[in-house]
Amino acid sequence: MIDEQMAVFIGSGLRLAVPIIFAATGEMLSERAGVLNLSLDGMMLMSAFAAALTSWATGSPLAGVAAGVVVATAVAAVQAVLSVTLRANQLVVGIGFNILALGTTTFLYREIFGPLSRDPIPGLAQLNLPWLASIPVIGPALSSQTGLAYVSILMVIVTWLLLKYTSFGLAVRAVGEDPRAADKAGISVARTRYLGVLYAGALAGLGGAFMSVADSNTFTENMTKGAGYLAITAVIFGGWNPWYTLAACLLFGFATALQFLVPALQLDVPVALLLLLPYLLALIAIAGFVGKGRQPGALTIPFERGG
Amino acid sequence: MKIPKFAEVARGARFDVRPLQVMVPVISTVIALGIGVLIIASTGASVLGAIDAFWDGMAGSDFNIGASLNRAISLALVGLGFIFAGRANLTNVGGEGQIAMGGMFATAAALHGAGDLPLGLAFVVPLVVGTAAGALWGGLAGFLKAARGTNEVISTLLLSFIALPLVYWSVESFHLLRKPISDLSSLPESPEIPDTTKLPLLFPDNGSPLHIGLLIAAVAVVAVWLVLKHSPLGVRLRAVGLNATASRRAGMRTSLHVVLAMTVSGGFGGLAGAIMILGQQFYLTSDFSSGYGFDGLVVGLLSRGSAAGVVIGALLFGFLRSGSINMEISANVPSAVVLICQGLIVIIIAGSTILTNRKASR
Repeated sequence: MIDEQMAVFIGSGLRLAVPIIFAATGEMLSERAGVLNLSLDGMMLMSAFAAALTSWATGSPLAGVAAGVVVATAVAAVQAVLSVTLRANQLVVGIGFNILALGTTTFLYREIFGPLSRDPIPGLAQLNLPWLASIPVIGPALSSQTGLAYVSILMVIVTWLLLKYTSFGLAVRAVGEDPRAADKAGISVARTRYLGVLYAGALAGLGGAFMSVADSNTFTENMTKGAGYLAITAVIFGGWNPWYTLAACLLFGFATALQFLVPALQLDVPVALLLLLPYLLALIAIAGFVGKGRQPGALTIPFERGG
Repeated sequence: MKIPKFAEVARGARFDVRPLQVMVPVISTVIALGIGVLIIASTGASVLGAIDAFWDGMAGSDFNIGASLNRAISLALVGLGFIFAGRANLTNVGGEGQIAMGGMFATAAALHGAGDLPLGLAFVVPLVVGTAAGALWGGLAGFLKAARGTNEVISTLLLSFIALPLVYWSVESFHLLRKPISDLSSLPESPEIPDTTKLPLLFPDNGSPLHIGLLIAAVAVVAVWLVLKHSPLGVRLRAVGLNATASRRAGMRTSLHVVLAMTVSGGFGGLAGAIMILGQQFYLTSDFSSGYGFDGLVVGLLSRGSAAGVVIGALLFGFLRSGSINMEISANVPSAVVLICQGLIVIIIAGSTILTNRKASR
């Protein structure tokens, strides 16, 4: 009985963590290049909707994931023009995109799905790897994930390698720390930052698509419920390091999943208070009481050549 | 890279930027509303029918005008809070959480004791309690900024995500604010507040719900204008916002000013929440603050730091919201169109800072 509930808890904790892992990993790279995308939540929401719509229209959840990535990357491209080229306030632009994404997806959802809501949308299949399932306690939870969940861990590894061992990663770090010096060294600050923001958009797209076509097989209004903000705080919590960021995402995922475990164990803790737990943890984290990572020197500061 | 060309052109352009400070919010609002109309047209709904329903919801009757103005009152207060913090170069995006805390504590005060107070104190006390709750919520972000260097944009956002479940908890728990289960309903909401704690109406005879919050907001507008533009405190807040290090060297207590700015800013949000409950809604629900935080934020952004601008923006969005709700009910056009317009306004204004503020890059 307890084992069964632990398996459900671990499974839902992982499923809740995956979208945040995707978004936070991309965001971490973008922030290392000096651009903060507060619009992450909006990108995920747009992607979740595009993925649901495409999967529903074509019957192919993979096409849905692709559509989600395309849409989120397109949003990121506009965000990059504003943040990098027009040197707009990155935080204000981000809020604007989140409002726009909420309005757009809510509007389209009511227009398109309004009459036929509740219909399940074709979703990605679970992998059900037998050798994984045989591991005690965590095995069933691990093997009941979709392939996309494993991709999130793959992206953490890819991002870590990119940052650490490639010239692009070097450029990203240089541009985020000291854009003026990087510019003098011949690195294009604008190009590097554009790529960083687009990378964050593509990964946020994977995260958003995961929510609608891998986790719930449906779209609901405002379904991200602030997951993008959690991803941003996970980056801060994780000290701009890919592995610590991954750990922070898992922590947030499991903190959110507690709201399913606690009632099942018949503990007398109000669910409402469990709802705020991840955000409270995030607040404590960014207030610097836990973990101390140094943020990139030029984070959120636009760069102007020769200025 | 060719793209920065536009930036260089914009920076190098030799024209007076002052008219742009006014023109940019106006033009971006016009563009956004135009796109909103196009979206309505694209749904196949009758644009004229939608606009008709919109107008009816905004100003079709004394009741609707009063309801729109009541909405504008709350938005104006949140907007004033935004520009107050903005004077110290702080961005308070946590209006929703501050409204929620203000509304929750005002309800608690009204239900538990304030109703029997004499001389109008019955509604004054809940207003003060709500304001204090919002001030505390905003001040917490200010404290984290001053003491720990925590970015206030992210902390105020997170504080909103923490405040909303707290309100949900309070209306869901019988030992807190939830009304006892009766034959009629068992919804998770508070009982209605006592009549004595409701804000007095300005025109009780014609059915308009417009209440004395209008006078409170008017006083607040003048007070914020005086403090920000014509008081030593306004100058100090501006100095702290422009250059904290220099201000500190000049002997100012910068931390105190940061906490003060965020406390006052949050207090306005709390007052707005209290007025929403005491003025028109009369009982607490878990989502009573929904959307007001974003609306107030957009009003603050549109105003470009001017109290008069807050009044115009609050009236605009107060009437827009009322109109959009009626449009959804009678013309079947989703009110999310207004959210789309708001998002566009914020993005266009933020993207235009390069035109209006040549020092924006530093």
